[in-house]
Amino acid sequence: MYSKVIATFSSKKLRSLYQKFNHRHGIWILSGLGSVYLLFIIIRIFPIFETIRLSFYRYHIIKKHTPFIGLKNYERLLRDENFHIALSNTIQFAFMAVLCTLIVALTIAILLRSIEHVSPFFETLFYIPVITSWVPASVIWKWLYDPTFGLINYFLSLFGIAKQGWLQEPDLILYAIVMVASWKMIGYYIIVFTVGLKNIPISYLEAAEIDGASALQRLRYIILPLLRPIILFATVMSTIQFFNVFAPVYVLTASAQGAPAYDLKVVVSEIYRNGFEYYKMGYAGAESVVLLVLVMSMVTLQFTLFRERK
Amino acid sequence: MIKFSNTIRQLTVSALFPMIIFMLLISQAAAKEKISIWLGYGETLAPFEMVKDKFEKKYPNYEVNILTFSLRDFESKLASSMPTGAGPDLLTLHDFIIPKYLDEGLLEPMPKDLTAIVNDPAKMNPTYTNIIAREGKVYGVPYWTGRSAIFYNLDHFKEAGLTSPPDTIEEFWEYAEKLTKKDANGDIERAGMTMRLTGPSGGTQKFGYLYYQMAGMQMLEPGKKVGTIRVTLKENMDIAVQALLDRINHLHGERKVDDWKLKHDAQGFASGTAAMLLRETWAIAFIKKNGPKIKFGTALMPKGKIRGAFNYIEVLSVSSMSKSKEKVWEFIRMLQEQKALALLLKESGYSPLRLDRDFSAFLKENPLYKAVMEDVAGYSQYIEAPNTAYKEVTTRFGEVLQDAYRDSSLVNNKEGVKSVILKLQKTAEEILDDSGILSE
Repeated sequence: MYSKVIATFSSKKLRSLYQKFNHRHGIWILSGLGSVYLLFIIIRIFPIFETIRLSFYRYHIIKKHTPFIGLKNYERLLRDENFHIALSNTIQFAFMAVLCTLIVALTIAILLRSIEHVSPFFETLFYIPVITSWVPASVIWKWLYDPTFGLINYFLSLFGIAKQGWLQEPDLILYAIVMVASWKMIGYYIIVFTVGLKNIPISYLEAAEIDGASALQRLRYIILPLLRPIILFATVMSTIQFFNVFAPVYVLTASAQGAPAYDLKVVVSEIYRNGFEYYKMGYAGAESVVLLVLVMSMVTLQFTLFRERK
Repeated sequence: MIKFSNTIRQLTVSALFPMIIFMLLISQAAAKEKISIWLGYGETLAPFEMVKDKFEKKYPNYEVNILTFSLRDFESKLASSMPTGAGPDLLTLHDFIIPKYLDEGLLEPMPKDLTAIVNDPAKMNPTYTNIIAREGKVYGVPYWTGRSAIFYNLDHFKEAGLTSPPDTIEEFWEYAEKLTKKDANGDIERAGMTMRLTGPSGGTQKFGYLYYQMAGMQMLEPGKKVGTIRVTLKENMDIAVQALLDRINHLHGERKVDDWKLKHDAQGFASGTAAMLLRETWAIAFIKKNGPKIKFGTALMPKGKIRGAFNYIEVLSVSSMSKSKEKVWEFIRMLQEQKALALLLKESGYSPLRLDRDFSAFLKENPLYKAVMEDVAGYSQYIEAPNTAYKEVTTRFGEVLQDAYRDSSLVNNKEGVKSVILKLQKTAEEILDDSGILSE
């Protein structure tokens, strides 16, 4: 039976058909991936270009008339104090969150390597916040941050530290949200760094140890240089994530009844506000384009700085 | 001809019969006209459900679908669906979003009988009708209102030796100071008056409550041309400065009556961490539910140059793209019946706006609602001037206010506060101008 199938498969017709496909490799790939590419273009690429196009219009969802206004939305952005505050907050937030998340994640990942036998347990534990969605996670933190009944203030009071308005004080809220964002994402980057650390040949570290290199020297001269591609990946990914921060800011700063919070502005919340509360889609589009350019510039800069030099 | 056995015939019939019934039911359902209703205030669902049952019995060819959303979701969904004709047939619109739909021709003018009711001052206060009238046509029935009032904690008043709620604005702040309770370190444990210190658009509204009494007008008033708005702060500069100073002076230093770290607003009042609150009708039910042990009273807003209450109203309108306009108006007529309005009041606490309906039995059982339902001579009722940029103006305006509240250098600083007022005026005017609705 098996030989019969082989015989059929090796028949001339099939062979020539296979050769044709083999020669037209592109068509073969396209037939398999075409639909996926098409979906990607419709869902991902088209909205970007449509947003760029809309940013040149005074487009209000309800209004029927949508006039072309050229660069006026961008001109207004230059004068918009709220957008400037949001941009400054977003840059500060992203910078602090990236730094905090990656340093803590890398430190934990390195420490976990020294307790290899139990590290999967801790990796799982650290990964739990990653799989928790932003909204419930932020709601939990809102309770923890509550100035009157929150656990954080209670804990601080044990050491005689006065109650803090974590979400009410403009000077504290940014740090409070950085803490939530880092807590949420650290588990993911622990896994990323762990993969990178496992790929460093143990013989390099052993050789360095025999040569008398201290732990810090091994980190400085072996681990960090070899982790460079992983650090680049983690930095790029976290930069993109944190520049687009929205859900924790939205939930933590929402002034629900009795739970007031300082209205911290970030770029995405301004986009949301202009687009979905004021229905000024054209203006929100212009803000989105600025964010896109900013994130792309940051990522390009990171690639330039971290890419391995030949 | 092929002959089947009895069993096969019976099996065929028994299989076909439910199929036929099913097909009939589907065709029956498909034949029904559908009326969709979206609600942004889910707590008002009960009368709609009641009328739906009655309506579907009366008009068996119609099926009514009611969906409730959170208020913000409702606004967003309505904004994106209405221009494409995918929105609901019956619209429940709160006053400040009406112009968006009215100006774009998305609302249907009312039939004559309903117009007559709405235009009759014995049946409806003209304050509420004006916002939905354009060039002699009326586009909706004002349905219910939420009205502002003073909420005061009876135990806290007794403890402070106060026997009645404050009558004037001066008394209001004086009482707030007396009612504030501080701990040994001087930190506030109980606010004398819980202010709206965050939540920008809500903060604007609450600041406006006392400004209105002091200035005799709102911060945003209708302009000469329909749909336009003027900002009144500059023309009432001294009053505006005093209104803002009153708040800032009571947020810092010795006269402080509130703190950001306390529970706020209705929840703060319901948890006993505030002695006074300025809020609207809905807060009565909220406090009863969330603070069952709190003994409280309600009173008319404090008096300044005038005395008046802020109202936010809900209007029932019909989409101009609805296929069943007549029947939707009929549904609205049924919602106006005594039974349906009484149920609305009982279940949601919102006061129906029909003056020719009787709610005395409810008021007798629930005297707390008197302050927000009874019309008292000289107590003016006002609503914010609806405009297409309402949300943006009030939000941006509130952001400036929030920052000013935190600035302790503004305590007793008239010049500093004046510059804040000018910034508020400028912020509002720029947005109104950008939206093309700034009054000349």
